[in-house]
Amino acid sequence: MEELMQTLKGQIVEQLNLQHIKPEDIGDDQSLFVEGLGLDSIDALELIVLLQQKYGIKLANPSEGPTVFKTVRSIAEYITAHKAA
Amino acid sequence: MKALFINGTGCISPQPTFEAGFPFEAKDYNGSRLTCIEPDYSPYIDPKLSRRMGRLLKYGTAAGLQALRDAGVAVPDAISTGTGFGLLDDSGKFLKNVIEAAEGVVSPTAFIQSTHNTVSSNIALAVGCHAHNNTFAHKGFSFESALTDAQMLAGENESLRNILVGAYDEVTDYSYQIMARLGLIRTGEGSSLDLLKNAAKGTIAGEGAAFFVLSPDRTDKTYALYRGNRLIYKPASHGALSGAIESFLTEHGISVPEVALLSGLCGDPGRDALLKGINAGLADGTTVMTYKHLCGEYMTSTAFATWSAARMLQSGAIPEAMLYSGSPVRPRHILICNSYKNDYALILLSVA
Repeated sequence: MEELMQTLKGQIVEQLNLQHIKPEDIGDDQSLFVEGLGLDSIDALELIVLLQQKYGIKLANPSEGPTVFKTVRSIAEYITAHKAA
Repeated sequence: MKALFINGTGCISPQPTFEAGFPFEAKDYNGSRLTCIEPDYSPYIDPKLSRRMGRLLKYGTAAGLQALRDAGVAVPDAISTGTGFGLLDDSGKFLKNVIEAAEGVVSPTAFIQSTHNTVSSNIALAVGCHAHNNTFAHKGFSFESALTDAQMLAGENESLRNILVGAYDEVTDYSYQIMARLGLIRTGEGSSLDLLKNAAKGTIAGEGAAFFVLSPDRTDKTYALYRGNRLIYKPASHGALSGAIESFLTEHGISVPEVALLSGLCGDPGRDALLKGINAGLADGTTVMTYKHLCGEYMTSTAFATWSAARMLQSGAIPEAMLYSGSPVRPRHILICNSYKNDYALILLSVA
């Protein structure tokens, strides 16, 4: 899980072109949207693409988005659960 | 159509037009590709938003916002822009993504930015403008179409007091390679400022964004009066072009000897033939200026020419690097006479 979260942070920085943020600046449980990293709806789409392209996981139910993409840890947990499945 | 005052300008180009004063010190490039001198965008664009913007979107937006700030206008009453190729780099990225993903799921950012009207939309979002927003993509007539749109809007609706008009284009690795392969661009090294002194085939590729706040009202910031434009597609001969120029000027109550000419000579002997014929037909001593050795050739280069002309009319200064022939006397009227392949365009500006 730890290794996956570190990989995810790098991928998020790269995919979203977060120019002034380093992967290590993102906390495991830091909120990614609004008051946290300040990501927006287009970033949410980019994260969906990231999940599909890098991990082959489709977000089956869009309403799960806010829960899945809440933090790096929640994304990592979702990937772990769905890759295992 | 109604003449409009130019009350604010913004220009990002291969020359120091964004922050330096006017006249600026001309920058020389070695080779045949001129790229914009990009400023620090942070005073104009939120860094959180600029991270996903391509180069043209950033410099187009910043030039538009600079024109609004220059005019002291928070929100324009309309936005009208022109572009030849639009956001070409992002279009390429999007198509590449589609191929790499085997037409599967692709990143939305390049797609969102790949439309021709992204810059005008982005400016509207930045200032909260919900009014008329149009982008014209008519090759060498794109900027002129936006100017005409602004004049028609101002003529139809007197409540429109500030219309943001501009144009933007970019040169990308792919577009440069394609133009070079087609023989449109010169190969090898050479000073860009010597473009017109060298009779080699082809021209130099350029890019830029220039914006203007046009208004029926004169203000303390007014640079010049935009009188009108004329589009001439594929003039059959030198006589047809010179006749169109005379007729256009007569409609505005001006004779040919009264104007200083800002010519769109691009350096290619074939493409410059008609424009050189116009220069030759002018009276001795007529001021002739050129500009493509400063910004390069692109479909909306007349926006750079208009920016330069407005600054010359306001300051009375003709940059040494722009003087082609004649004397550098303060012009009262500047006629921009451009050609982009078969698209010939005239734009007339006067002292306000």
